Amino acid sequence: MSEKRTMTLNLSDAEMRALEALCEQKDLSKTAVIRQALRLYQLVDARLASGGKLFFEDSNKDKAELIAV
Amino acid sequence: MTSRHPTRLFKRSDEQLVSAEILNGISREELIDIHIDWQPERVEALKNLRAQGRPWPENWHWDWAAKADNLNFLAYRCVAVECEGRVQGLMMVSTIGWRGRLAVQTGKPVLYIEYVESAPWNLAGLVEAPRFSGVGIALIQSAIQVSADEGFAGRVALHSLPQSQPFYRRYMHDLGIDASHPEKLCYFEMTGDQANDFVKGRPL
Repeated sequence: MSEKRTMTLNLSDAEMRALEALCEQKDLSKTAVIRQALRLYQLVDARLASGGKLFFEDSNKDKAELIAV
Repeated sequence: MTSRHPTRLFKRSDEQLVSAEILNGISREELIDIHIDWQPERVEALKNLRAQGRPWPENWHWDWAAKADNLNFLAYRCVAVECEGRVQGLMMVSTIGWRGRLAVQTGKPVLYIEYVESAPWNLAGLVEAPRFSGVGIALIQSAIQVSADEGFAGRVALHSLPQSQPFYRRYMHDLGIDASHPEKLCYFEMTGDQANDFVKGRPL
């Protein structure tokens, strides 16, 4: 992997609990979860910026549009 | 930024292992250059197959240049294996969006191999005398390394064309036809333990 750079991340208690829960569920470190989130956000943001829409599909094949900022 | 790591391929004409390099993180522009390098020999080989009345391989239409825009995003990475000054194989992986389906890793992230292919002159279905063997093995090993670097413990998954399924069945769990896949391909998943076994017992 390419050279790493370090930053400090300040989170609220609730945000830290959410991060720790994701780490537990995914068997990932906090750094790995943040890295995943950044990659997903970058991809989704670029697709939305180019006019795409983001949907979730439930088990009945019903689609609900997700508004992302 | 591309990082380089040593690996080996089997050179068929000399019947011996030769030194090669894994190029991890090649750029969009480099991928397009590789496509340009491969394309004349791919087209020539397809013409020869047609002249001989033989079928084309299932991946004959793959166009790496068309996939290059994926590399604008952090979620995708391209890995190449280079030997004797030319790229002998390519792999594109996705680091987001795939969760394990096997019971031992349900819901845990897996590295998903979007595409993996040997250079046209190394494909047994395309040419009569492939130049190098072991390209797929070297690339799967590098996928395991990327998975480990991402914190995925070597977990890897892919959908396989029928022609490649016997290869993956030797090293991964075959979860059968994936009805949700657009081409209804078989889905394969490698656990962390299988990844360790693969790396320790690498055939080349």
